[in-house]
Amino acid sequence: MGSVSVPPAAIGRVLLNKLFAVPLPDGFPRVYPGLVWSIRIPRVLLSFLTGAGLAVSGAVMQSVLKNPLASSYGLGVSSGAGLGAVVMIIWGFGSSVVMLPVVCLLCGFGAVVFAMIFSQKIDRGLSNNTIILTGMVLSLFLNALMSTLAATNPDYTRLISLWQLGSFSSREWRQVVPVALIVPLCMLFFSCYAREMDLMTFGEEQAAALGVSLKRTKWMLIGAVSLLTGTCVAFVGIIGFVDLIAPHIVRRFFGPLHKTLIPLSAVFGGTFMVVCDLAARTLTSPSEIPIGSITALLGAPFFIYVYWTSRKGEK
Amino acid sequence: MLNAEHLSCGYGEKKIVRDVQIHLHAGERLAILGPNGCGKTTLMRALAGLLPFEGTVTAAGLDMRRASRKQAAQAVALMTQMGSADFGYSVYDTVMMGRYAHQRGGLFAGASAEDRAIVEDCLSQTGLSDLRDQPVTQLSGGQLQRVFLARVFAQQPSIILLDEPTNHLDLQYQVELIALLKRWTSQGSRCIVGVLHDINLALEFADRLLVMQDGCARYEGPADKLDVTLLQEVYGIDVRAWMQKCLSRWAE
Repeated sequence: MGSVSVPPAAIGRVLLNKLFAVPLPDGFPRVYPGLVWSIRIPRVLLSFLTGAGLAVSGAVMQSVLKNPLASSYGLGVSSGAGLGAVVMIIWGFGSSVVMLPVVCLLCGFGAVVFAMIFSQKIDRGLSNNTIILTGMVLSLFLNALMSTLAATNPDYTRLISLWQLGSFSSREWRQVVPVALIVPLCMLFFSCYAREMDLMTFGEEQAAALGVSLKRTKWMLIGAVSLLTGTCVAFVGIIGFVDLIAPHIVRRFFGPLHKTLIPLSAVFGGTFMVVCDLAARTLTSPSEIPIGSITALLGAPFFIYVYWTSRKGEK
Repeated sequence: MLNAEHLSCGYGEKKIVRDVQIHLHAGERLAILGPNGCGKTTLMRALAGLLPFEGTVTAAGLDMRRASRKQAAQAVALMTQMGSADFGYSVYDTVMMGRYAHQRGGLFAGASAEDRAIVEDCLSQTGLSDLRDQPVTQLSGGQLQRVFLARVFAQQPSIILLDEPTNHLDLQYQVELIALLKRWTSQGSRCIVGVLHDINLALEFADRLLVMQDGCARYEGPADKLDVTLLQEVYGIDVRAWMQKCLSRWAE
Protein backbone atom coordinates (compact mmCIF):
# COMPACT_ATOMS: atom_id res chain seq x y z
CA MET A 1 0.00 0.00 0.00
CA GLY A 2 2.07 2.89 -1.25
CA SER A 3 3.99 4.04 -4.28
CA VAL A 4 5.10 0.45 -4.91
CA SER A 5 2.28 -2.02 -4.58
CA VAL A 6 3.01 -5.28 -2.78
CA PRO A 7 0.46 -8.12 -3.00
CA PRO A 8 -1.08 -9.16 0.36
CA ALA A 9 0.24 -12.70 0.05
CA ALA A 10 3.76 -11.37 -0.21
CA ILE A 11 3.26 -9.27 2.93
CA GLY A 12 2.15 -12.43 4.74
CA ARG A 13 5.24 -14.29 3.58
CA VAL A 14 7.54 -11.51 4.74
CA LEU A 15 5.87 -11.46 8.15
CA LEU A 16 6.18 -15.25 8.49
CA ASN A 17 9.79 -15.00 7.44
CA LYS A 18 10.67 -12.27 9.95
CA LEU A 19 8.66 -13.50 12.92
CA PHE A 20 8.91 -17.30 12.59
CA ALA A 21 11.89 -17.71 10.27
CA VAL A 22 9.81 -19.40 7.56
CA PRO A 23 12.02 -19.31 4.44
CA LEU A 24 10.91 -17.18 1.49
CA PRO A 25 10.10 -19.01 -1.77
CA ASP A 26 12.50 -18.91 -4.71
CA GLY A 27 12.05 -15.99 -7.06
CA PHE A 28 10.47 -13.80 -4.33
CA PRO A 29 11.09 -10.13 -5.27
CA ARG A 30 14.14 -8.91 -3.35
CA VAL A 31 12.82 -5.48 -2.50
CA TYR A 32 9.70 -6.81 -0.74
CA PRO A 33 11.22 -7.92 2.60
CA GLY A 34 13.03 -4.63 3.15
CA LEU A 35 10.10 -2.57 1.95
CA VAL A 36 7.50 -4.37 4.03
CA TRP A 37 9.47 -5.06 7.20
CA SER A 38 11.61 -1.93 7.47
CA ILE A 39 9.33 0.74 5.99
CA ARG A 40 5.68 -0.21 5.66
CA ILE A 41 5.06 -2.12 8.89
CA PRO A 42 6.78 0.35 11.25
CA ARG A 43 4.87 3.11 9.55
CA VAL A 44 1.46 1.46 9.95
CA LEU A 45 2.24 0.51 13.56
CA LEU A 46 3.43 4.00 14.41
CA SER A 47 0.39 5.64 12.85
CA PHE A 48 -1.96 3.26 14.69
CA LEU A 49 -0.21 3.85 18.02
CA THR A 50 -0.08 7.63 17.77
CA GLY A 51 -3.70 7.74 16.56
CA ALA A 52 -4.69 5.64 19.57
CA GLY A 53 -2.58 7.71 21.94
CA LEU A 54 -3.91 11.05 20.71
CA ALA A 55 -7.53 9.85 20.76
CA VAL A 56 -7.20 8.60 24.34
CA SER A 57 -5.51 11.76 25.55
CA GLY A 58 -8.29 13.78 23.94
CA ALA A 59 -10.94 11.70 25.70
CA VAL A 60 -9.23 12.15 29.07
CA MET A 61 -8.77 15.88 28.58
CA GLN A 62 -12.42 16.42 27.65
CA SER A 63 -13.55 14.67 30.82
CA VAL A 64 -11.00 16.17 33.19
CA LEU A 65 -11.71 19.70 31.99
CA LYS A 66 -15.43 18.91 31.64
CA ASN A 67 -15.43 20.50 28.21
CA PRO A 68 -16.46 18.59 25.07
CA LEU A 69 -14.29 20.84 22.91
CA ALA A 70 -11.13 20.45 24.99
CA SER A 71 -8.27 18.58 23.42
CA SER A 72 -4.93 17.31 24.58
CA TYR A 73 -3.31 20.16 22.68
CA GLY A 74 -5.12 22.85 24.63
CA LEU A 75 -2.69 22.86 27.53
CA GLY A 76 0.28 23.76 25.38
CA VAL A 77 1.78 20.25 25.30
CA SER A 78 2.03 20.15 21.54
CA SER A 79 3.11 23.76 21.14
CA GLY A 80 5.76 23.28 23.81
CA ALA A 81 6.99 20.07 22.24
CA GLY A 82 6.78 21.60 18.77
CA LEU A 83 8.84 24.60 19.81
CA GLY A 84 11.41 22.24 21.31
CA ALA A 85 11.55 20.38 18.00
CA VAL A 86 11.94 23.56 15.97
CA VAL A 87 14.82 24.77 18.13
CA MET A 88 16.51 21.38 17.82
CA ILE A 89 16.05 21.39 14.04
CA ILE A 90 17.62 24.84 13.78
CA TRP A 91 20.53 23.80 15.97
CA GLY A 92 21.13 20.89 13.61
CA PHE A 93 19.77 18.01 15.64
CA GLY A 94 16.87 17.53 13.22
CA SER A 95 17.78 13.96 12.39
CA SER A 96 18.64 12.81 15.91
CA VAL A 97 16.34 10.02 17.10
CA VAL A 98 17.24 10.39 20.79
CA MET A 99 17.91 14.07 21.41
CA LEU A 100 14.94 15.40 19.45
CA PRO A 101 12.18 13.34 21.15
CA VAL A 102 13.67 13.82 24.61
CA VAL A 103 13.90 17.59 24.23
CA CYS A 104 10.39 17.65 22.72
CA LEU A 105 8.94 15.74 25.65
CA LEU A 106 10.70 17.98 28.18
CA CYS A 107 9.49 21.15 26.45
CA GLY A 108 5.94 19.76 26.29
CA PHE A 109 6.04 18.98 30.02
CA GLY A 110 7.53 22.39 30.71
CA ALA A 111 4.65 24.10 28.92
CA VAL A 112 2.02 22.12 30.87
CA VAL A 113 3.70 22.67 34.23
CA PHE A 114 3.94 26.37 33.46
CA ALA A 115 0.26 26.51 32.44
CA MET A 116 -0.86 24.63 35.56
CA ILE A 117 1.29 26.59 38.02
CA PHE A 118 0.26 29.88 36.47
CA SER A 119 -3.42 28.82 36.64
CA GLN A 120 -3.02 27.90 40.29
CA LYS A 121 -1.36 31.24 41.05
CA ILE A 122 -4.22 33.27 39.63
CA ASP A 123 -6.96 30.89 40.77
CA ARG A 124 -6.32 28.75 43.85
CA GLY A 125 -9.22 26.48 43.16
CA LEU A 126 -7.55 25.49 39.88
CA SER A 127 -10.85 25.70 38.03
CA ASN A 128 -11.22 24.33 34.53
CA ASN A 129 -11.94 27.62 32.81
CA THR A 130 -8.72 29.13 34.13
CA ILE A 131 -6.74 26.12 32.92
CA ILE A 132 -8.34 26.14 29.47
CA LEU A 133 -7.81 29.87 29.04
CA THR A 134 -4.19 29.78 30.21
CA GLY A 135 -3.48 26.79 28.00
CA MET A 136 -4.99 28.48 24.98
CA VAL A 137 -3.04 31.71 25.46
CA LEU A 138 0.18 29.78 26.02
CA SER A 139 -0.43 27.62 22.92
CA LEU A 140 -1.01 30.65 20.73
CA PHE A 141 2.10 32.33 22.09
CA LEU A 142 4.31 29.27 21.54
CA ASN A 143 2.89 28.73 18.05
CA ALA A 144 3.71 32.32 17.18
CA LEU A 145 7.28 31.77 18.40
CA MET A 146 7.46 28.66 16.24
CA SER A 147 6.29 30.50 13.12
CA THR A 148 8.68 33.36 13.81
CA LEU A 149 11.59 30.93 14.09
CA ALA A 150 10.48 29.19 10.89
CA ALA A 151 10.29 32.48 8.99
CA THR A 152 13.65 33.78 10.19
CA ASN A 153 15.47 30.55 9.35
CA PRO A 154 14.64 30.01 5.68
CA ASP A 155 16.96 27.00 5.39
CA TYR A 156 14.76 25.03 7.75
CA THR A 157 11.33 26.37 6.82
CA ARG A 158 10.40 23.25 4.87
CA LEU A 159 11.54 20.86 7.60
CA ILE A 160 9.72 22.87 10.26
CA SER A 161 6.47 23.05 8.33
CA LEU A 162 6.68 19.30 7.79
CA TRP A 163 6.93 18.98 11.56
CA GLN A 164 4.02 21.31 12.22
CA LEU A 165 1.67 19.11 10.22
CA GLY A 166 3.11 15.78 11.27
CA SER A 167 4.52 13.00 9.18
CA PHE A 168 4.99 9.24 9.33
CA SER A 169 7.46 9.06 6.46
CA SER A 170 10.86 7.40 6.92
CA ARG A 171 10.09 6.10 10.39
CA GLU A 172 12.05 3.15 11.70
CA TRP A 173 11.64 0.48 14.35
CA ARG A 174 13.70 2.39 16.91
CA GLN A 175 11.09 5.16 16.77
CA VAL A 176 8.20 2.72 17.04
CA VAL A 177 9.45 0.95 20.17
CA PRO A 178 9.24 3.86 22.67
CA VAL A 179 5.76 4.78 21.43
CA ALA A 180 4.71 1.13 21.63
CA LEU A 181 5.77 1.10 25.29
CA ILE A 182 4.30 4.39 26.44
CA VAL A 183 0.90 4.31 24.69
CA PRO A 184 -0.30 1.00 26.25
CA LEU A 185 1.13 1.98 29.65
CA CYS A 186 -0.78 5.25 29.69
CA MET A 187 -3.94 3.49 28.53
CA LEU A 188 -3.67 1.06 31.41
CA PHE A 189 -3.20 3.96 33.80
CA PHE A 190 -6.27 5.77 32.46
CA SER A 191 -8.37 2.60 32.67
CA CYS A 192 -7.60 2.51 36.41
CA TYR A 193 -9.10 5.98 36.71
CA ALA A 194 -12.18 5.32 34.55
CA ARG A 195 -14.69 5.85 37.38
CA GLU A 196 -12.98 8.99 38.66
CA MET A 197 -13.22 10.49 35.18
CA ASP A 198 -16.91 9.52 34.96
CA LEU A 199 -17.51 11.47 38.16
CA MET A 200 -15.42 14.45 37.09
CA THR A 201 -17.61 15.06 34.03
CA PHE A 202 -20.35 16.14 36.46
CA GLY A 203 -18.22 18.96 37.82
CA GLU A 204 -15.44 19.19 40.32
CA GLU A 205 -17.46 19.89 43.43
CA GLN A 206 -19.79 16.97 42.77
CA ALA A 207 -16.88 14.62 42.11
CA ALA A 208 -15.21 15.70 45.35
CA ALA A 209 -18.45 15.35 47.30
CA LEU A 210 -18.80 11.81 45.97
CA GLY A 211 -15.34 10.91 47.26
CA VAL A 212 -12.79 11.74 44.55
CA SER A 213 -9.52 13.26 45.79
CA LEU A 214 -9.84 15.94 43.20
CA LYS A 215 -6.58 17.86 43.01
CA ARG A 216 -4.37 14.78 43.19
CA THR A 217 -6.40 12.92 40.57
CA LYS A 218 -6.44 15.96 38.29
CA TRP A 219 -2.67 16.47 38.46
CA MET A 220 -1.97 12.79 37.83
CA LEU A 221 -4.33 12.56 34.87
CA ILE A 222 -3.02 15.77 33.31
CA GLY A 223 0.55 14.57 33.88
CA ALA A 224 -0.17 11.28 32.13
CA VAL A 225 -1.94 13.04 29.26
CA SER A 226 1.10 15.28 28.81
CA LEU A 227 3.38 12.27 28.69
CA LEU A 228 1.15 10.55 26.14
CA THR A 229 0.62 13.57 23.88
CA GLY A 230 4.23 14.69 24.26
CA THR A 231 5.47 11.25 23.18
CA CYS A 232 3.24 11.20 20.11
CA VAL A 233 4.22 14.74 19.10
CA ALA A 234 7.90 14.02 19.69
CA PHE A 235 7.94 11.17 17.19
CA VAL A 236 5.51 12.23 14.49
CA GLY A 237 4.97 15.99 14.85
CA ILE A 238 1.75 17.85 15.50
CA ILE A 239 -1.32 16.02 14.21
CA GLY A 240 -4.60 17.63 15.18
CA PHE A 241 -8.27 16.66 15.33
CA VAL A 242 -7.93 12.92 15.98
CA ASP A 243 -7.90 13.67 19.69
CA LEU A 244 -10.99 15.81 19.31
CA ILE A 245 -13.20 13.70 17.07
CA ALA A 246 -12.42 10.11 18.10
CA PRO A 247 -13.88 10.36 21.62
CA HIS A 248 -16.96 12.19 20.32
CA ILE A 249 -17.77 9.51 17.79
CA VAL A 250 -17.23 6.73 20.32
CA ARG A 251 -19.46 8.48 22.89
CA ARG A 252 -22.18 8.92 20.31
CA PHE A 253 -22.38 5.19 19.62
CA PHE A 254 -21.24 3.54 22.84
CA GLY A 255 -22.04 6.06 25.59
CA PRO A 256 -19.72 8.14 27.75
CA LEU A 257 -18.64 5.53 30.36
CA HIS A 258 -14.84 5.62 30.43
CA LYS A 259 -14.58 1.88 30.93
CA THR A 260 -15.50 1.53 27.25
CA LEU A 261 -14.60 5.02 26.02
CA ILE A 262 -10.85 4.66 26.63
CA PRO A 263 -10.23 1.39 24.74
CA LEU A 264 -12.70 2.15 21.95
CA SER A 265 -11.27 5.65 21.40
CA ALA A 266 -7.88 4.01 21.05
CA VAL A 267 -9.14 1.53 18.47
CA PHE A 268 -11.05 4.17 16.54
CA GLY A 269 -8.29 6.79 16.70
CA GLY A 270 -5.68 4.26 15.63
CA THR A 271 -7.75 2.99 12.71
CA PHE A 272 -8.65 6.52 11.63
CA MET A 273 -4.99 7.51 11.64
CA VAL A 274 -3.94 4.48 9.58
CA VAL A 275 -6.64 5.31 7.01
CA CYS A 276 -5.62 8.98 6.94
CA ASP A 277 -1.99 8.02 6.45
CA LEU A 278 -3.00 5.67 3.65
CA ALA A 279 -4.82 8.55 1.99
CA ALA A 280 -1.83 10.83 2.57
CA ARG A 281 0.48 8.40 0.81
CA THR A 282 -1.69 7.25 -2.06
CA LEU A 283 -4.01 10.11 -3.10
CA THR A 284 -1.29 12.18 -4.74
CA SER A 285 1.30 9.39 -5.07
CA PRO A 286 4.28 9.55 -5.37
CA SER A 287 4.29 12.86 -3.44
CA GLU A 288 2.76 12.90 0.07
CA ILE A 289 0.11 15.14 1.63
CA PRO A 290 1.06 16.02 5.23
CA ILE A 291 -0.97 13.83 7.57
CA GLY A 292 -2.03 16.81 9.69
CA SER A 293 -3.76 18.28 6.64
CA ILE A 294 -5.75 15.11 6.00
CA THR A 295 -6.97 14.79 9.60
CA ALA A 296 -7.85 18.49 9.65
CA LEU A 297 -9.70 18.26 6.32
CA LEU A 298 -11.89 15.59 7.87
CA GLY A 299 -11.82 17.00 11.38
CA ALA A 300 -12.66 20.66 10.86
CA PRO A 301 -16.17 20.10 9.50
CA PHE A 302 -16.74 17.69 12.38
CA PHE A 303 -15.66 20.32 14.89
CA ILE A 304 -18.33 22.69 13.57
CA TYR A 305 -20.92 19.92 13.72
CA VAL A 306 -20.13 19.22 17.40
CA TYR A 307 -20.20 22.92 18.18
CA TRP A 308 -23.65 23.29 16.69
CA THR A 309 -25.18 20.25 18.32
CA SER A 310 -23.77 21.11 21.76
CA ARG A 311 -25.12 24.64 21.38
CA LYS A 312 -28.57 23.28 20.71
CA GLY A 313 -28.28 21.06 23.78
CA GLU A 314 -27.85 24.15 25.97
CA LYS A 315 -31.39 25.26 25.25
CA MET B 1 -24.46 13.12 64.86
CA LEU B 2 -23.25 16.37 63.32
CA ASN B 3 -21.33 18.82 65.44
CA ALA B 4 -19.62 22.02 64.35
CA GLU B 5 -17.70 24.07 66.96
CA HIS B 6 -16.46 27.61 66.29
CA LEU B 7 -16.60 26.97 62.56
CA SER B 8 -15.12 29.74 60.41
CA CYS B 9 -14.33 29.47 56.73
CA GLY B 10 -14.07 31.43 53.50
CA TYR B 11 -12.07 31.83 50.32
CA GLY B 12 -8.53 33.12 50.70
CA GLU B 13 -8.12 35.63 53.50
CA LYS B 14 -11.76 36.64 53.57
CA LYS B 15 -13.85 34.82 56.19
CA ILE B 16 -17.38 34.37 54.88
CA VAL B 17 -18.67 32.23 57.74
CA ARG B 18 -17.67 33.22 61.28
CA ASP B 19 -17.85 31.20 64.48
CA VAL B 20 -20.91 29.05 63.75
CA GLN B 21 -22.02 26.22 66.07
CA ILE B 22 -24.22 23.34 64.96
CA HIS B 23 -25.46 20.49 67.16
CA LEU B 24 -27.62 17.93 65.43
CA HIS B 25 -28.78 14.57 66.79
CA ALA B 26 -29.78 11.46 64.88
CA GLY B 27 -33.17 11.75 63.23
CA GLU B 28 -33.14 15.58 63.22
CA ARG B 29 -33.50 17.89 60.25
CA LEU B 30 -31.90 21.32 60.26
CA ALA B 31 -32.89 24.10 57.88
CA ILE B 32 -30.53 27.01 57.29
CA LEU B 33 -32.26 30.33 56.63
CA GLY B 34 -30.85 33.69 55.70
CA PRO B 35 -30.73 36.28 52.92
CA ASN B 36 -28.65 35.86 49.77
CA GLY B 37 -24.90 36.01 50.33
CA CYS B 38 -25.03 35.33 54.07
CA GLY B 39 -22.70 32.32 53.72
CA LYS B 40 -25.15 29.40 53.60
CA THR B 41 -23.55 27.62 50.63
CA THR B 42 -20.04 28.27 51.95
CA LEU B 43 -21.04 26.75 55.29
CA MET B 44 -22.40 23.66 53.51
CA ARG B 45 -19.15 23.20 51.60
CA ALA B 46 -17.16 23.36 54.83
CA LEU B 47 -19.50 20.84 56.52
CA ALA B 48 -18.94 18.47 53.57
CA GLY B 49 -15.19 18.86 54.03
CA LEU B 50 -14.76 20.47 50.60
CA LEU B 51 -13.42 23.76 51.96
CA PRO B 52 -10.65 24.34 54.51
CA PHE B 53 -12.08 25.61 57.80
CA GLU B 54 -11.15 26.73 61.31
CA GLY B 55 -12.77 25.10 64.32
CA THR B 56 -13.95 21.49 64.32
CA VAL B 57 -16.54 19.52 62.39
CA THR B 58 -17.45 16.01 63.53
CA ALA B 59 -19.82 14.05 61.30
CA ALA B 60 -21.02 10.60 62.41
CA GLY B 61 -18.02 10.39 64.72
CA LEU B 62 -15.58 11.31 61.94
CA ASP B 63 -13.22 14.27 62.30
CA MET B 64 -13.78 15.92 58.92
CA ARG B 65 -10.40 17.64 58.95
CA ARG B 66 -8.53 14.34 59.19
CA ALA B 67 -10.82 12.22 57.02
CA SER B 68 -9.78 11.12 53.55
CA ARG B 69 -12.05 12.16 50.71
CA LYS B 70 -13.61 8.68 50.49
CA GLN B 71 -14.18 8.42 54.26
CA ALA B 72 -15.79 11.85 54.24
CA ALA B 73 -18.05 10.88 51.33
CA GLN B 74 -19.19 7.77 53.19
CA ALA B 75 -20.30 9.94 56.13
CA VAL B 76 -21.57 13.09 54.42
CA ALA B 77 -23.24 13.59 51.03
CA LEU B 78 -23.72 17.00 49.44
CA MET B 79 -26.27 17.84 46.79
CA THR B 80 -25.30 21.16 45.23
CA GLN B 81 -27.64 23.68 43.68
CA MET B 82 -25.80 23.82 40.37
CA GLY B 83 -25.96 20.24 39.22
CA SER B 84 -25.53 19.92 35.49
CA ALA B 85 -24.98 17.08 33.06
CA ASP B 86 -22.82 17.62 29.99
CA PHE B 87 -22.27 14.02 28.93
CA GLY B 88 -25.03 11.54 28.17
CA TYR B 89 -24.67 8.99 30.96
CA SER B 90 -27.75 6.88 31.59
CA VAL B 91 -29.80 7.54 34.72
CA TYR B 92 -28.73 4.13 36.07
CA ASP B 93 -25.00 4.77 35.53
CA THR B 94 -25.31 8.22 37.11
CA VAL B 95 -26.96 6.87 40.25
CA MET B 96 -24.36 4.09 40.38
CA MET B 97 -21.68 6.79 40.68
CA GLY B 98 -23.02 7.39 44.18
CA ARG B 99 -21.46 4.05 45.11
CA TYR B 100 -17.95 5.29 44.28
CA ALA B 101 -16.88 5.99 47.88
CA HIS B 102 -17.80 2.40 48.85
CA GLN B 103 -15.97 0.71 45.98
CA ARG B 104 -12.33 -0.27 45.72
CA GLY B 105 -10.17 1.58 43.23
CA GLY B 106 -8.12 0.22 40.36
CA LEU B 107 -8.51 -1.45 37.01
CA PHE B 108 -10.95 -4.22 37.92
CA ALA B 109 -13.12 -2.22 40.31
CA GLY B 110 -16.76 -2.56 39.45
CA ALA B 111 -20.25 -2.69 40.83
CA SER B 112 -20.99 -5.56 43.24
CA ALA B 113 -24.38 -7.26 43.53
CA GLU B 114 -24.93 -5.19 46.67
CA ASP B 115 -24.20 -1.96 44.76
CA ARG B 116 -26.73 -2.91 42.10
CA ALA B 117 -29.40 -3.75 44.67
CA ILE B 118 -28.87 -0.41 46.43
CA VAL B 119 -29.10 1.51 43.14
CA GLU B 120 -32.33 -0.31 42.24
CA ASP B 121 -33.78 0.63 45.61
CA CYS B 122 -32.78 4.30 45.23
CA LEU B 123 -34.27 4.41 41.73
CA SER B 124 -37.62 3.08 42.89
CA GLN B 125 -37.68 5.35 45.99
CA THR B 126 -37.27 8.41 43.77
CA GLY B 127 -39.65 7.15 41.10
CA LEU B 128 -36.95 6.88 38.42
CA SER B 129 -37.16 3.17 37.61
CA ASP B 130 -38.83 3.81 34.26
CA LEU B 131 -36.22 6.37 33.24
CA ARG B 132 -33.19 4.20 34.04
CA ASP B 133 -31.88 4.01 30.47
CA GLN B 134 -32.53 7.66 29.57
CA PRO B 135 -29.45 9.81 29.01
CA VAL B 136 -29.30 12.45 31.76
CA THR B 137 -28.77 15.13 29.13
CA GLN B 138 -32.36 14.62 27.94
CA LEU B 139 -34.08 14.99 31.31
CA SER B 140 -36.08 17.95 32.58
CA GLY B 141 -34.64 20.02 35.42
CA GLY B 142 -36.91 18.32 37.93
CA GLN B 143 -36.04 14.83 36.73
CA LEU B 144 -32.33 15.64 36.84
CA GLN B 145 -32.74 16.93 40.39
CA ARG B 146 -34.33 13.60 41.35
CA VAL B 147 -31.45 11.71 39.70
CA PHE B 148 -28.97 13.63 41.84
CA LEU B 149 -31.09 12.93 44.92
CA ALA B 150 -31.11 9.21 44.08
CA ARG B 151 -27.33 9.38 43.71
CA VAL B 152 -27.04 11.01 47.14
CA PHE B 153 -29.19 8.19 48.60
CA ALA B 154 -27.00 5.61 46.85
CA GLN B 155 -24.00 7.11 48.62
CA GLN B 156 -25.56 5.83 51.89
CA PRO B 157 -24.22 8.64 54.05
CA SER B 158 -25.20 9.32 57.66
CA ILE B 159 -25.70 12.99 56.90
CA ILE B 160 -27.15 14.58 53.78
CA LEU B 161 -26.48 18.24 53.01
CA LEU B 162 -28.93 19.74 50.53
CA ASP B 163 -28.31 23.11 48.94
CA GLU B 164 -31.59 24.39 47.50
CA PRO B 165 -32.96 20.92 46.73
CA THR B 166 -36.36 22.24 45.64
CA ASN B 167 -34.94 24.65 43.07
CA HIS B 168 -36.21 22.98 39.90
CA LEU B 169 -39.14 21.13 41.40
CA ASP B 170 -42.80 21.88 40.89
CA LEU B 171 -45.09 21.98 43.93
CA GLN B 172 -46.05 18.32 43.75
CA TYR B 173 -42.42 17.18 43.76
CA GLN B 174 -41.51 19.67 46.49
CA VAL B 175 -44.11 18.08 48.74
CA GLU B 176 -42.97 14.59 47.70
CA LEU B 177 -39.35 15.50 48.30
CA ILE B 178 -40.05 16.72 51.82
CA ALA B 179 -41.93 13.48 52.55
CA LEU B 180 -39.08 11.44 51.03
CA LEU B 181 -36.49 13.24 53.14
CA LYS B 182 -38.54 12.84 56.31
CA ARG B 183 -38.83 9.12 55.64
CA TRP B 184 -35.10 8.88 54.99
CA THR B 185 -34.20 10.52 58.32
CA SER B 186 -36.57 8.21 60.20
CA GLN B 187 -34.68 5.11 58.98
CA GLY B 188 -31.77 4.62 61.41
CA SER B 189 -29.28 7.15 62.70
CA ARG B 190 -29.33 9.82 60.04
CA CYS B 191 -29.81 13.56 59.80
CA ILE B 192 -30.24 16.21 57.12
CA VAL B 193 -29.12 19.80 56.75
CA GLY B 194 -30.96 21.79 54.09
CA VAL B 195 -30.61 25.30 52.73
CA LEU B 196 -34.12 26.37 51.76
CA HIS B 197 -35.17 29.76 50.48
CA ASP B 198 -38.85 29.14 51.04
CA ILE B 199 -39.41 29.90 54.73
CA ASN B 200 -42.73 28.02 54.86
CA LEU B 201 -41.18 24.96 53.28
CA ALA B 202 -38.25 25.22 55.71
CA LEU B 203 -40.58 25.29 58.70
CA GLU B 204 -42.51 22.32 57.33
CA PHE B 205 -39.30 20.38 56.70
CA ALA B 206 -37.13 21.09 59.73
CA ASP B 207 -37.23 20.50 63.44
CA ARG B 208 -34.21 22.72 64.02
CA LEU B 209 -33.26 26.05 62.46
CA LEU B 210 -30.07 27.98 61.90
CA VAL B 211 -30.66 31.61 60.95
CA MET B 212 -27.66 33.36 59.43
CA GLN B 213 -26.81 36.97 58.72
CA ASP B 214 -23.50 38.24 57.31
CA GLY B 215 -21.75 34.94 58.03
CA CYS B 216 -22.77 34.78 61.70
CA ALA B 217 -25.42 32.63 63.33
CA ARG B 218 -28.29 34.69 64.76
CA TYR B 219 -30.26 31.69 66.01
CA GLU B 220 -29.58 27.98 66.40
CA GLY B 221 -32.26 25.90 68.06
CA PRO B 222 -35.65 24.19 67.78
CA ALA B 223 -37.84 25.39 64.93
CA ASP B 224 -40.88 26.02 67.10
CA LYS B 225 -38.94 28.35 69.47
CA LEU B 226 -37.93 30.78 66.71
CA ASP B 227 -38.82 34.41 67.39
CA VAL B 228 -40.39 35.83 64.22
CA THR B 229 -39.07 39.32 64.99
CA LEU B 230 -35.55 37.95 64.40
CA LEU B 231 -36.55 36.97 60.84
CA GLN B 232 -37.87 40.48 60.27
CA GLU B 233 -34.51 41.87 61.34
CA VAL B 234 -32.49 39.44 59.21
CA TYR B 235 -34.51 39.78 56.02
CA GLY B 236 -35.17 43.49 56.46
CA ILE B 237 -38.90 43.20 55.75
CA ASP B 238 -42.00 42.59 57.85
CA VAL B 239 -42.04 38.81 57.28
CA ARG B 240 -45.16 38.18 59.32
CA ALA B 241 -47.24 40.80 57.46
CA TRP B 242 -46.00 39.52 54.09
CA MET B 243 -46.81 35.90 54.86
CA GLN B 244 -50.26 36.79 56.17
CA LYS B 245 -50.92 38.84 53.04
CA CYS B 246 -49.77 36.03 50.75
CA LEU B 247 -51.57 33.28 52.59
CA SER B 248 -54.81 35.16 53.22
CA ARG B 249 -55.97 34.42 49.66
CA TRP B 250 -56.10 30.71 50.53
CA ALA B 251 -58.57 31.28 53.35
CA GLU B 252 -62.04 30.03 52.56
